[in-house]
Amino acid sequence: MKVAVGDEIPEWDMPSVRPERMRTMAAILRDPNPVHWDRRVPAKLGYGDHTINQGPLGLSYMVNMLHAWTGPTSIRRIVMRFPMAVLDGDHIIARGRVTAIREHAGERLADCDIWLHRPGTENPLEGTATVVIGD
Amino acid sequence: MTQTGIPPESEIRALVGHEFPGGDYTIAHWENFLLTECTGAEPLPDDLAHPVALFHMPILGARTSIGEMFALGQAESDFSIGIESYDWEIHRPLREELTYKVTGRITESDRRQDSTRTYDRIQFQFDLHDPDGTHAARTTITWTYGRSSK
Repeated sequence: MKVAVGDEIPEWDMPSVRPERMRTMAAILRDPNPVHWDRRVPAKLGYGDHTINQGPLGLSYMVNMLHAWTGPTSIRRIVMRFPMAVLDGDHIIARGRVTAIREHAGERLADCDIWLHRPGTENPLEGTATVVIGD
Repeated sequence: MTQTGIPPESEIRALVGHEFPGGDYTIAHWENFLLTECTGAEPLPDDLAHPVALFHMPILGARTSIGEMFALGQAESDFSIGIESYDWEIHRPLREELTYKVTGRITESDRRQDSTRTYDRIQFQFDLHDPDGTHAARTTITWTYGRSSK
């Protein structure tokens, strides 16, 4: 595939983060933190009537963007920071940009900046990814 | 979970080198299906597991839990935990119904202070190996444990 430094990764859209998915996630993760499934708790912390998305779920939106772009076995590394919480009901868009192209261990790799965009706020998640882009 | 007072810094620093028991983990089809649905994606082809499994699978496979990781850092409450970063290195794609050997340890642990708060920063690292012994993935979780008083 043709990839160049500066290319934008096709964005991946999550129109509304859903609270029931946080509950399923909490059960599978054995995650005891009620901020993910009991709205009364984040309300006391100043988040209003919203549960807080698990960090790995926010990260997974980036994974979905990268899979759609370069395929389901392409990710070699993903590093993510979490400046702000993602809440149920949020409209989230995963975006990214190619910052370098290099060869390593016989693979052609693209290094990328990636982030979650939420209209009207700072980016709630920011990080980097390395994906295989083939020949 | 409630921890009153700030633990001695020496106890936080002493966490470095802590090893979890370790063990095996197999991502079941139902588990991968539900996890993938939670991400908003369609199931992946060829028995591939969605990489979102790289959060809970190493933790449970190493025979620990989110609750124990909170407790090791003597978290004041569930709400005092912040995520600094997650770092997932994938050497081989994960697959359903494949049993991975998992090991885990604490690699960094110290006390920090910035202009607004005191917190402890603890880094957990987990390694996954395929049944044939190949290193499949490494995950590094870095959490902050906020301290409300000093």
